[in-house]
Amino acid sequence: MAGMQGRILRQDFLGGLAVIGVAALAYWLARKLPASAAGGMGPGALPKGLAVLLGGLGILLLLNAFKSERLARWSVRGPLFVLGALMLFGVTVRPLGLALAGPILIAAAGFASSEVRWRETLVYGLAMTAFCVGLFKFALGLPIPLAPWLLGY
Amino acid sequence: MELLSNLALGFATALSPMNLFLGFVGCLVGTLIGVLPGVGPIATIAMLMPLTLKVDPTGALIMLAGIYYGAQYGGSTTAILVNMPGEVTAVVTAIDGHEMAKRGSAGRALGIAALGSFFAGSVATLIIAAIGAPLTRLALLFGPAEYFGLMVFGLGLAIVLARGSVLKALIMVVLGLLLSTVGTDLETGQERLTLGIPELSDGVDFAVLAMGVFGIAEILRNLENPESRNVAIAQIGRLLPSREDLRRCFGPIVRATGIGSVLGILPGNGAVLGPFASYALEKKLAKDPSRFGRGAIEGVAGPESANNAGAQTSFIPLLTLGIPPNAVMALMVGAMTIHGLIPGPQVMTKHPALFWGMIASMWIGNLLLLVINLPLIGLWVRLLKVPYRLMFTTILLFCAIGIYSINNNPYDVYFTAFFGLAGYLFIKLGLEPAPMLLGFVLGRLMEEKLRQALALSEGSLMTFVERPVAAALLAIAAAVMLVAVLPAVSRSRQKAFQE
Amino acid sequence: MRRTIAVLVLSAFSSIAAAQAYPSRPVTIIVPFAAGGPTDIIARISGEYFSKTLGQQFVVENVAGAGGTTGITRGAQAKPDGYTIMMGHMGTHGAAPALYANLKYDPTKDFTPIGLVAGTPILIVARKDFPAANLKDFVARVKDPAAKVKQAHAGVGSVSFTTCTLLTSQLGAKSIVAAYRGTGPALNDLVGGQVDYMCDQIVNLVEQVRGGAIKAYAIATPERSPALPDVPTTKEAGLPDYQVSAWNALFAPKGIPQDVATKLNATLVAALDDANTRKRLLELGSVIPDKAGRSPQALQKLVESEVARWNPILKAYAQQ
Repeated sequence: MAGMQGRILRQDFLGGLAVIGVAALAYWLARKLPASAAGGMGPGALPKGLAVLLGGLGILLLLNAFKSERLARWSVRGPLFVLGALMLFGVTVRPLGLALAGPILIAAAGFASSEVRWRETLVYGLAMTAFCVGLFKFALGLPIPLAPWLLGY
Repeated sequence: MELLSNLALGFATALSPMNLFLGFVGCLVGTLIGVLPGVGPIATIAMLMPLTLKVDPTGALIMLAGIYYGAQYGGSTTAILVNMPGEVTAVVTAIDGHEMAKRGSAGRALGIAALGSFFAGSVATLIIAAIGAPLTRLALLFGPAEYFGLMVFGLGLAIVLARGSVLKALIMVVLGLLLSTVGTDLETGQERLTLGIPELSDGVDFAVLAMGVFGIAEILRNLENPESRNVAIAQIGRLLPSREDLRRCFGPIVRATGIGSVLGILPGNGAVLGPFASYALEKKLAKDPSRFGRGAIEGVAGPESANNAGAQTSFIPLLTLGIPPNAVMALMVGAMTIHGLIPGPQVMTKHPALFWGMIASMWIGNLLLLVINLPLIGLWVRLLKVPYRLMFTTILLFCAIGIYSINNNPYDVYFTAFFGLAGYLFIKLGLEPAPMLLGFVLGRLMEEKLRQALALSEGSLMTFVERPVAAALLAIAAAVMLVAVLPAVSRSRQKAFQE
Repeated sequence: MRRTIAVLVLSAFSSIAAAQAYPSRPVTIIVPFAAGGPTDIIARISGEYFSKTLGQQFVVENVAGAGGTTGITRGAQAKPDGYTIMMGHMGTHGAAPALYANLKYDPTKDFTPIGLVAGTPILIVARKDFPAANLKDFVARVKDPAAKVKQAHAGVGSVSFTTCTLLTSQLGAKSIVAAYRGTGPALNDLVGGQVDYMCDQIVNLVEQVRGGAIKAYAIATPERSPALPDVPTTKEAGLPDYQVSAWNALFAPKGIPQDVATKLNATLVAALDDANTRKRLLELGSVIPDKAGRSPQALQKLVESEVARWNPILKAYAQQ
């Protein structure tokens, strides 16, 4: 049983599977596009061709799997909060403006690291957002919403 | 000597107090936005265009130009410090540059980037002055078929670029090519691979991809390994490159200047190939190629020089023909037009003060940038000592704002998060992002040129053989790919024999 | 009863107050293309006049994508308070319904038309060595299948695409078509002689024609352009049916307060009479609409007629 797990957890085994998966997805998405059209290649030629090529390479990778390194530890906390913070920013920046989206991002991202100290992060988040507002909004004049709920822009 | 009298006119124009001031402002702003991830010269020039209406056209253009090549200097700063290329062209710098920073050599990396860029910028400016006009005619000979040959050659480079296994590099290149097909088909207008998401109908944005796969993934990697991160940063080495470094990098810088200058003239953003080409060349020429990818200073000097040379020479088609070779130059066209100065073949003769003034100001600008950037190195290096728990949230915020500002579209931020996840997966699976980015950049251009070539030849593949330049480039490309793949194949054969 | 009257009076006052106060903060003009292009420049030139006269910044926000439809979709869905307006053009409000099957707006119904700003005439240009001395010879060659004439355009949905498709469909000819990503690369290959002809806005081509890098056969407007006085009109040169100009106009989302709409239109009309604005628009080669053409009703009529005109010609390219 341990031997079996050892096999699956090899880098290239999962890598090969992932690559084949992506190739299959790409081919499926491009399935309706014609590969040839009047005067040469059609819109589907390159996507389908590349998908097939990628799938082939993925199979090669799979064959190589058993000699490759073991998979390193994965963590959930870091990716979850960093990426989550980014998504939150995207959702909040237009309705709530930079004034709120900034601190929200910094607070959410703070959860990603176990080293983070709360009061420090709060103060820092507000200060950094103020700095960014000054830099991006006033110095550079980017049309990023500041606080639509308060100022209207 | 006509050239000398023209240059005299140019310097007289560029050194007027107003133009000097505007050039300085442009370079400073350019450096700043180059450092900021996401926000780039395009957004900034567009933003500052209305302000330039208050000054005369020459001054306005000098300032806007300063922003553009200033951003090349600044973009390498974040690429080296935090693996987040502030500018598209700084992606290659990040490979070895960030490795150097992790080993405590951030100062040397930043220094050689600035010095190499200055050398390249100065030489490129000279090229523009002396042979700018005839060079454009050369660029015009480059039709779709020739361009396609160049792109295939570029693909061969991608394999050389890789640190590890050739198979994995190939996979990443093909993945990049596949990603580049996402969007609207050029000829028929049909949507491809867009999953029905309208925000993808113009394809994936390079900055979004690079930011996610390099920068965000790096943050995730650092959060996982706090120990390895702190040790290296604790030892800050020299602040500037040593004499030994300069000696080593002289060759790469000169070669890169040549490569970057030539590629910058080609329309359709050929300049973006420059850093990749330089890196691959230096890696092939080095006595110990395994140093590349682990902090080889030549891997910073070459690409940085190439991208600055390309940035300067990309002005040539604009100034001599009035045809912008990339999106930033298209903005310059807009800026000139708003001032009532529509760019075209006659700009050189109708407005000599503008033409030569701009060229002179480019050299002055490069000097200013060196003066601005070198002292800042101490500041940047000290910034690395900020505790990571504060740094990473800051980087994330800057990244989010910068990415949002590209198109004022929150979907770009979502996609960056997605690519961040992808980048993290790549790290875990041992796949390198750099070849994928090259594949992505080449893919669009390659497909466009291939289909144009085939459309114009009515589907005949013979067009690649009949046209001499295209045939030559394809032959070289094939040779490069063979040379890259053969050692790997023979190595595995040897292993098989040994077993 | 008294309460109702009070409410009615108050709301009347507040809407008057709102109209007097408009604009009380910066206004966004959405330009659905990248900065630096013809539509963007026209928006900035007119925006400058608006900022000066109305006392608040009229800021251009570029939201490029999908032939301009991304930006217009955003504009159509914006809050109808007059603080977000947009610059639409022949592509976004004329050709788009025929080109994009999933278009999220209806140009004839989802907008408050403010007024036409300027039109950019279309030029028929060819590489400088093309073997035709005038428009008649050019047409003859294009119609001749054995001549294998090559056309370039800047991408499906671009002005150069729609206008050249109109030309070939009027002539009943089929050219070899090469698609490019933007005007720059297309023009580059035209100058380089890799393709034979193109149809595009005058502002993109004027200096190349003047410098001799390419040659112009005709301009598709009723009168010659002062920017290129030697180029005959299509009427003079024998193709009177080919009349097309890339018009640009200001729109607001449907349902903005009437007084705001009136104010915007009045400012636009004044802008088009302002000497400085006129000079800069004319330098681009644009055509400024006459008094009759500046009303919102004229714009609405134009939009409806354009949508009808482009529909049959472009249906073949509708996205699945």
